[in-house]
Amino acid sequence: MPRETAPISGHLLVVDDNKVNRLLLGRSLEQQGHRVDFAENGRQALEALRAQPFDLVLLDIQMPELDGFQVLEQLCHDLHLRDIPVIMTSALEELDSVAKCIEMGAEDYLTKPVNAILLRARINASLEKKRLRDQQRELVRKFATAEVAEDLQASGFALGGKFVEATAMFSDIRSFTTIAESQSPADTIELLNDYYTLMFEAITGQGGVVNQMVGDGLMAIFGAPLPLENRCERSVLAALEMIEMIELFNCEQEAQSKPRIRIGIGIASGEVIAGYTGTLRRATYTCVGDTVNRAARLEAHTKVVGEPILIDETTRQGLSSGIETVPQGPVQLKGKTDEVQVFSVPVGQKVRR
Amino acid sequence: MSTESIINPVTFGELRAMTGDEFLGELIDTFCTETPSIISDLQRALAEGDADTFRRAAHSIKSSSANFGAVPFSALARELEMLGREHNLAQAGDKVARLVADYDQLVRALRELQHAS
Repeated sequence: MPRETAPISGHLLVVDDNKVNRLLLGRSLEQQGHRVDFAENGRQALEALRAQPFDLVLLDIQMPELDGFQVLEQLCHDLHLRDIPVIMTSALEELDSVAKCIEMGAEDYLTKPVNAILLRARINASLEKKRLRDQQRELVRKFATAEVAEDLQASGFALGGKFVEATAMFSDIRSFTTIAESQSPADTIELLNDYYTLMFEAITGQGGVVNQMVGDGLMAIFGAPLPLENRCERSVLAALEMIEMIELFNCEQEAQSKPRIRIGIGIASGEVIAGYTGTLRRATYTCVGDTVNRAARLEAHTKVVGEPILIDETTRQGLSSGIETVPQGPVQLKGKTDEVQVFSVPVGQKVRR
Repeated sequence: MSTESIINPVTFGELRAMTGDEFLGELIDTFCTETPSIISDLQRALAEGDADTFRRAAHSIKSSSANFGAVPFSALARELEMLGREHNLAQAGDKVARLVADYDQLVRALRELQHAS
């Protein structure tokens, strides 16, 4: 049989309690360019699958020890094994059992005696589908967060930008350069890691997504890629928690005679342009636009007014009455021609919920 | 009985074309080595009234013999499998005896075809 008609070759597991069936199926598959291992029953099959990677399983239904149903059940409850495609091999009169197997997660079936042409077609289709799934999973791994991965899976990897209503947050450490110069590089990196851990916890705890970390600064988005209810309120609650966490962190720092840190947070809401940017090797979810710039300017402006949290008018309008804000008047932000209304959020306030 | 009434020549020919003579010989050897113990399982299950084991043994014989185009033999094994599925082993004794007799015929027919190339 010509090899070139088998476009993909894989590592296959043939599970059948009858040796004649195993040998014959193995022969066909090897002729089609695949590498084949065998198992005589369900128990052996699971052992083999847990011992080394396989691309596909050909599974008999009726077997001693563990039968095909039990193997399928165990496979679909195993995080590491549940994505391996399974093709049932069965007799024609077992079609009711086959239907049950497909409901349980089997990908396809072949009737015995197995026709070599059908075998080739089904195996190639399954391997091709698996290859695509593996590719997608690999792509997902390049993205930073679980939320982004979910969005990608749900949207079927639709790249390209769109307008989204969202809330953007910028945060960074005050006088970080001075701190970095006053201590060892190891302490600085440790400090940054502690800082990021705490900030991530506060932000993701409120449904935000951290999508950029640069030096001592970070950017987070609330309401994209997935919509988030009360995103303005949640972003401000996250900001208040971030300040609280920094206070606790400072207590620990002082106990170790290490420097205290202060952070500034800017929050703005409105339309953003959101999408995946980067290259095929490395991509990230990005939000850009006026709203994002405003959040960055507000963060910079915290130094000017000496308030750790500044928000814009749109964000303030999205808050419930439980959060106190203080008008800081109209401010001309750097790089902007129009003045914007700016509000500070007093820290240490007890939020009524 | 002619080999043609025991083994479908078209199916057997296709099998030979797919496997080649050497592997076909190995496959027939394997069938002849494995099947007697499965038939023993079948007989023991019948004696013990173990319908599940009976069904599984009959199923195994049915599917392995079908590979060679042993249509009547495979069909008989299938009837036994169905009796096992229905937990109706009381009716199965005669058919098991026939399967044992037919098995010897089948082996002779397989060997004959194997060397007829």
